[in-house]
Amino acid sequence: MTLELEGVSHRYGDELAVSDVSFGAEPGELVGLLGPSGCGKTTLVQAIAGHVRPTAGRILLRGDDVTDTPPERRHVSVVFQRPTLYPHMTVSENVAYGLAARGMDREERDARTRDYLDLVDLEEQCDSYPTELSGGQQRRVELARALAPQPDVLLLDEPLSGLDPTLRERLRDEIARIQRETGVTTLFVTHDQEDAMALADRLVVMNDGRVAGSGHPRRLYDSPPTPFVASFLGRSNTLSGTVVNQDPLTVAFGDAELSLDGTNLRRSEGETVLCHVRPKDLSFAPAETNGASVSVTGEVKRIVDLGRRYDVTLETRTGDEVVVEEPARPPSRDESVSVSVPGDCVTVFDGEQSDSSRLS
Amino acid sequence: MSGTDALPISRPNRTAELLVPALLGGLILAYFALPFVAFLSRTGAANITAGLSTPETQHAIRNSLITAPIATAISTVLGVPLAYVLARRSFPGKRLVEGLVVLPLIVPPVVGGAMIITAVGRFTPIGSAAAAVGVPLTDSLLGVVLAQTFVAAPFVIITARAGFGAIDERLEQASRSLGYGPLATFRNVSLPLAHGAILAGIVLTFARAIGEFGATMMVAYNPRTMPTRIWVDFIAGGIDAIVPLALTLLGITLVVLAAVQRLARVPTVIDR
Repeated sequence: MTLELEGVSHRYGDELAVSDVSFGAEPGELVGLLGPSGCGKTTLVQAIAGHVRPTAGRILLRGDDVTDTPPERRHVSVVFQRPTLYPHMTVSENVAYGLAARGMDREERDARTRDYLDLVDLEEQCDSYPTELSGGQQRRVELARALAPQPDVLLLDEPLSGLDPTLRERLRDEIARIQRETGVTTLFVTHDQEDAMALADRLVVMNDGRVAGSGHPRRLYDSPPTPFVASFLGRSNTLSGTVVNQDPLTVAFGDAELSLDGTNLRRSEGETVLCHVRPKDLSFAPAETNGASVSVTGEVKRIVDLGRRYDVTLETRTGDEVVVEEPARPPSRDESVSVSVPGDCVTVFDGEQSDSSRLS
Repeated sequence: MSGTDALPISRPNRTAELLVPALLGGLILAYFALPFVAFLSRTGAANITAGLSTPETQHAIRNSLITAPIATAISTVLGVPLAYVLARRSFPGKRLVEGLVVLPLIVPPVVGGAMIITAVGRFTPIGSAAAAVGVPLTDSLLGVVLAQTFVAAPFVIITARAGFGAIDERLEQASRSLGYGPLATFRNVSLPLAHGAILAGIVLTFARAIGEFGATMMVAYNPRTMPTRIWVDFIAGGIDAIVPLALTLLGITLVVLAAVQRLARVPTVIDR
């Protein structure tokens, strides 16, 4: 492992910002650290970079414990959310800055600076000052500056936030390309699940200072281990149901019953369970009669026209609010409709517990 | 479309908005300018070259030109690192340190001077020890420097602190992560980015030091500096007697201010 966190916790005064976080990154891997604002992501970045000494736990780089090593001896580069280019230095001086620290001679330094400016396609701007560049160009210079010393680990702390959507997508592709070309082990920190899904080889989802789930992005999306991951990684509806039969597990939503074959979740009859289903998996089509799906009825409360689709919010008879993504013709407001819930798209959670069972 | 609609309505408001600050500000500006102009209008009556040619006056100018730069240098060298720590770190007793920094500003200079005498005066252990080895801390140029530093140093500390505080800490963190230790980061990043504020603080400190009268009078009435000389001349000969020296003092301060501002433009400065 290039980077390893072992039981890292950090307190600011009385406040526990990060609690017992462990994860790692293999050489060349791009790990996405995803979570809402205030979940402790930035504290972890600061701890890995060495600007914050965690209250508990260890941080290892290439197997060495660096928990007490100062930032300048870690070989970890950081790209922050806000640009941190040095305004009193030119673009190439900025990129060369980290090379001079390592005692590289002038000729080698110039060559390396050119290589990395070339990598981010900004050779022409080498003599400009950062203020003369556009926002996107500044980010790219920042990437070049972080990568030029060829760090063991690259930390990207929300590098895409504050950019307009087009630029954001372009820079995201650029980061993916640069990471591929340089093969640098990268930790990409974001609150944006789309950025995380698009870039990461592996995702670590954080909530409230803890790891809420980790794994391959698609697998996490398809079978979220916790209700939090289900709702944060894409959109999710929660339907509360009552177990009416154990074998096969059958859940009743009002008077509609759905048989969930193939689950190993053991619940006794009469227990309440939470069922997650994504809005894109719901439809207004009538339920199939073979029992693989179930119809839930409700009243349409809101319809939002998003151009490429409609978000239809309805309240079910059992009182749950459910969003259906409808591509074409939405029902009208206050209309009573039935929604087809396919059994193989439902994930069952045991109340607040994290054990779950994917039905497929 | 709303722009053209809104203009006729908002214009009278705009004028009214500016009217109040213009009136109030104008009053205080007039009050600044009036004594200045009135004083300068006396220059015709005074013989400046004659006033500046006496040996007493020349000694005073020389003494001021020796002591004020030294006091400024001491304040800067000791004060700027302190300013950085105050801007960046929190530590137990920080409030106390901050209070100490502004203390010389709150204490009337003449009282400050009295305090310095009680600490390092001729009859105190420190003062007598220093006098015994031939460096008297009062009634000497060194005493002048002590008085000036006490009164003027807070200016560079406070201004530099604000300058360091305005730098995003992440710029320093990035430098650390790029392989530079705390000292190299201070030299390469913090100092160049705060240099405008530091220079402004140095100018303020210098202006305060060279014009220092109250504390200097208490600690070192002799040898005379320009302000103490001005006081002596005023007692003996009134306003007209002090015009030459007062204008020289003003001139020196203005030259230093202009020079520093000029100097600050030389490296690639960020206008912010």
